[in-house]
Amino acid sequence: MSAEPRTDPRPRRSALLVIGLAMLGSLALVALLAPVLAPYDPRALSGDSFERPSAEHLLGTNDIGQDILSQVIWGARASLEVALGAASLVVALGTFLGVVPALIGGTLDRLVARLAVVFLALPVLPLLILVGSLAGPSRVVVIGVIGVIGWPPVARLLRSQTLSLRSRGFVAASRGFGSGALYVCRRHLVPALAPFLVVAFVTWSGIAIGIEAALAFLGLGDPTGVSWGLMLNRALDTQGIYFSGLWTWWVLPAGLAITAAVLGFTFVGVGLEPRFNRRVQA
Amino acid sequence: MEARSLPGSVLSYAATLFLLVTLNFFLPRAMPGDPIDALLSRSSTTYIDDENTRAELADYYGLDQPLLAQYGRYLGGLVRGDLGTSIRTNAPVRDALRDRLPWSLLLVGSATAAATVVGMVAGVHAGWRRGKRVDRGLLGVFLGLREFPTFLLGSLALFVFAVKLDWFPLAGARTPFAELSPVGQVADVAHHLVLPATVLAVGLAAGHYLVMRAGVVGELGADYLLLGRAKGLAERRLKYRYAARNALLPVVSLSAIQLGFAITGDILVERVFAYPGLGRLLFESIGARDYPVIQGCFLVTTVIVVSVNALADLLYRLLDPRTVG
Repeated sequence: MSAEPRTDPRPRRSALLVIGLAMLGSLALVALLAPVLAPYDPRALSGDSFERPSAEHLLGTNDIGQDILSQVIWGARASLEVALGAASLVVALGTFLGVVPALIGGTLDRLVARLAVVFLALPVLPLLILVGSLAGPSRVVVIGVIGVIGWPPVARLLRSQTLSLRSRGFVAASRGFGSGALYVCRRHLVPALAPFLVVAFVTWSGIAIGIEAALAFLGLGDPTGVSWGLMLNRALDTQGIYFSGLWTWWVLPAGLAITAAVLGFTFVGVGLEPRFNRRVQA
Repeated sequence: MEARSLPGSVLSYAATLFLLVTLNFFLPRAMPGDPIDALLSRSSTTYIDDENTRAELADYYGLDQPLLAQYGRYLGGLVRGDLGTSIRTNAPVRDALRDRLPWSLLLVGSATAAATVVGMVAGVHAGWRRGKRVDRGLLGVFLGLREFPTFLLGSLALFVFAVKLDWFPLAGARTPFAELSPVGQVADVAHHLVLPATVLAVGLAAGHYLVMRAGVVGELGADYLLLGRAKGLAERRLKYRYAARNALLPVVSLSAIQLGFAITGDILVERVFAYPGLGRLLFESIGARDYPVIQGCFLVTTVIVVSVNALADLLYRLLDPRTVG
């Protein structure tokens, strides 16, 4: 590392982007190739309970004799599904509620903006726990609730951008040449807003992975599924988990997998921001 | 920060509180299959055997009455502090909350205080030496720690400091069945508190660090610092008494804004350390599908968070007249 102060943060940001993309690429690869990579069916009882790591079970087995490595590998799939599903929903809702009212303006715009402020103040996890425990633990519920809770910040950002774009010269010119609202939206707004959508999507993917893991960890995961949060929940409920070495090959791999996935999305999000911001806000 | 008028701001917080209270009423009733109904119907696997509890539950939710009447009863009950009866223990939810809340307040309070102090001191230090090695190092440390999931950090801390090194107790908030002097009790509680509070504080400190650092960086070129330097004031004095003081205001309000994160972290940390606060109560109630208690925890935590945010918002206006829109 050089000792001289670095004033331009860009080089480090692009390094973050590369690292993040590499992490996400491997995550996606593991998720896609899970059936090939995993040595066992993650739900099958493929050994005795609490087997120590061995050639047959590289990370040993859990309390009921399921292969832990296979569960870590299949967990990548569950996490990515929740991440992509929840982030799509957040971005779709946020875009709709941010752009459309801003274009129409008036009372509707003020109402939605006020609603966003009210929603922003809601503490997320307690609400998720309430809904999750009432609706029963399922992945669809988790995705749906993250979407409903996550839209306000995205909508707020897109609203302010739309309002500023609306008054720009090129939009006024386009309108002056007689183009309709929809055409303006498709031709000018969407391309200009796209960078924000990408960053929001990446950011919320990471957040969703953390939330899914936290809920499963608290006992609100789909018990028939295989996920990292469920593994942690099961492991920490096991008597003497900290004393037998189990912790090292059961809790640690699942926890590190969650950390790596969250970090991957964060790196990409942080790495992308300055590239996009220069274009739009310059 | 978005400038909002005082009445608008109060209205907005009032709307959030109303939304919370209403959600707490409608969500259980809106769920497909009605979870409360399942607890009362004999054919369900979650049927409650205890006749007394069943009667209390039916009475609390009042499902045989029209929806609006139920809502009225619910609001009336809230005003009297009636939060229903726990399915698991058959005791009033209010009592369970009252027993557990102090522990959560202790945990969240000490973690917030520690995070504020550490984040602020590190932030001043880093901002003062912007771009130097210290600055870049601290930035990496704080951001890295923030991204680390709370439950893994907690479990890791437990494994290293309680199991391997045996410095701290494994679980709980005090030693069970121990007969201690008053001083011994305080020491015992503090000893149990260190690990969970530190884990919780680690995630919160990053925010204070970033805001304080940015604030100090913003003051660096200020004329009053130049004058102070010309007068020959000590660097320490310039740093803490002058620059830090002017950058302090946003950090104060951040403590309140971060309370939402703190509650989230608290729920997870209490699960890891079996700390007997609201988060632990919530976890136990999730396992037992004890809806009245889950709802009680939801209401208490969220109302506290929103109220504190509202208070901080008002306080901020008093402290800094420029923010009045």
